[in-house]
Amino acid sequence: MQLNESTYETIFLLYIDKELSPKEGLEVEQFIADNPKYALEMEALKATLLSAENIPYAFKENLKHQLDATSLEDQEKDWNQTYATNLKADMDSIPSLSTSFKNALKKEVATEGIILKPFGFSQQKFSYVAIAVCLMVFLGYQQLTKSSVLDLTATNLISANTKTEQLSNKNTNSNASNVETGLINKASKTFAKTNALVPKIYQEQKLSKEAVDTKKVQRIHIIQKESIAMAEPTPDNRSLNQTVITKLPSNYNNPININAAVIATASIDSETLEVEKELTSYEVIDTEDPNRTIFIANFEIDGNKLRGLKRRVTSLFKNNKSERNK
Amino acid sequence: MTDKAYNDCVDNFADGVYRFIVKNIRHTEDAQDIVQSAFEKLWVNREQVLPEKAKSYLFTVAYHQMIDHIRKSNKMPLSVDTTIPQQQIVQEDAELKQVLMHAVNELNPIQKSLVLLKDYEGYSYHEIGEIMNLSESQVKVYLHRARLILKTKLSAYAPTAS
Repeated sequence: MQLNESTYETIFLLYIDKELSPKEGLEVEQFIADNPKYALEMEALKATLLSAENIPYAFKENLKHQLDATSLEDQEKDWNQTYATNLKADMDSIPSLSTSFKNALKKEVATEGIILKPFGFSQQKFSYVAIAVCLMVFLGYQQLTKSSVLDLTATNLISANTKTEQLSNKNTNSNASNVETGLINKASKTFAKTNALVPKIYQEQKLSKEAVDTKKVQRIHIIQKESIAMAEPTPDNRSLNQTVITKLPSNYNNPININAAVIATASIDSETLEVEKELTSYEVIDTEDPNRTIFIANFEIDGNKLRGLKRRVTSLFKNNKSERNK
Repeated sequence: MTDKAYNDCVDNFADGVYRFIVKNIRHTEDAQDIVQSAFEKLWVNREQVLPEKAKSYLFTVAYHQMIDHIRKSNKMPLSVDTTIPQQQIVQEDAELKQVLMHAVNELNPIQKSLVLLKDYEGYSYHEIGEIMNLSESQVKVYLHRARLILKTKLSAYAPTAS
């Protein structure tokens, strides 16, 4: 700052307007002390300053907002601001506070907004996805229980029913052996026992399953026919032969009859055991039982459906990204 | 800004704004209306105005409303000061103040506002520039010109007084 004849007026004006630094102010005062003729000039400029004057505004109360109970929120905001300011000032004034401690204080604030931000999920969309996942799990569970357990149980029960009917028909057409009668009784008991367990909805599937199950029954029927044919040399003496077979001693040496009876008995018994085994292999699941835990081993989905699902999820992410950018 | 902060603004700045306006337009009722309008605008926009900027906001609003008022009336209202005879003003020191005010009232509105904001409110050139929508150098030039005019007028009264 150069004070001379040409610049003094501007610098004096800056001085009275308090726009100079303290150092520059001292320079001006020193200049005036060295050059008294400029003191009058300074006094004349100082005289142009308006002195403080109080002119009160009479209607302040009309301008004020009447504070009521709702203003407690405002007071709380003020307290929070004051607390934050004081806390920051206190932390800054204590240099010994470690950085980790300061960061630990900051983390509490930072964790509020993390949850799903990186994935671009809003809370609403996340809830939609959660509902969709629950629905898929429920449907998958329902499908699994229908196809794997209940279907098989129902199939077995229906096949047993069919076998029993076939065997009953067989009984009317031919006078089978006592072994066959026993099988019919066993099957009838099994049918009576299991018929109550067959759900009504699977009665409709009976016809479709019948075609498969009749093959097994036909096989039993063929074996039975062969064994009876072997036991009956002529079709006319069937009743006599039956009597002979039942009345003959156990050590009677007729290899054909004995072998045929043994073969028929063995084959029918083995089939009966298989049926019983199949029936005892499965059980009806009570899906209402809360204590039961069901593990879903695999999940099948059609390729086209998977592609569609992927496309929807991708579009969901894109929408979120574009909303964020906006 | 909270409701409480707004009420604090009324307590702290209403007098200053009113003084600034009434000294400019020299009409108490119009000045009161302008002050009321300025605070009304502050209340409406209180969510956007920070408490530390409230004073500057009030003066800015009041200044622009005052300019509008002057343009609408297309005249500077007559002041009681203008009717005071010069011979009586220069009789005593107390009256020197009135002479100065008389000289200030003869300044143009911009220079007058600059002087009032600088002397009464103590704003810096930069802050005055923000309120009046002027650059800092413009504020400096206009204010210096106003000071020199006041100095000249006061020196014109001084020989009479002496």
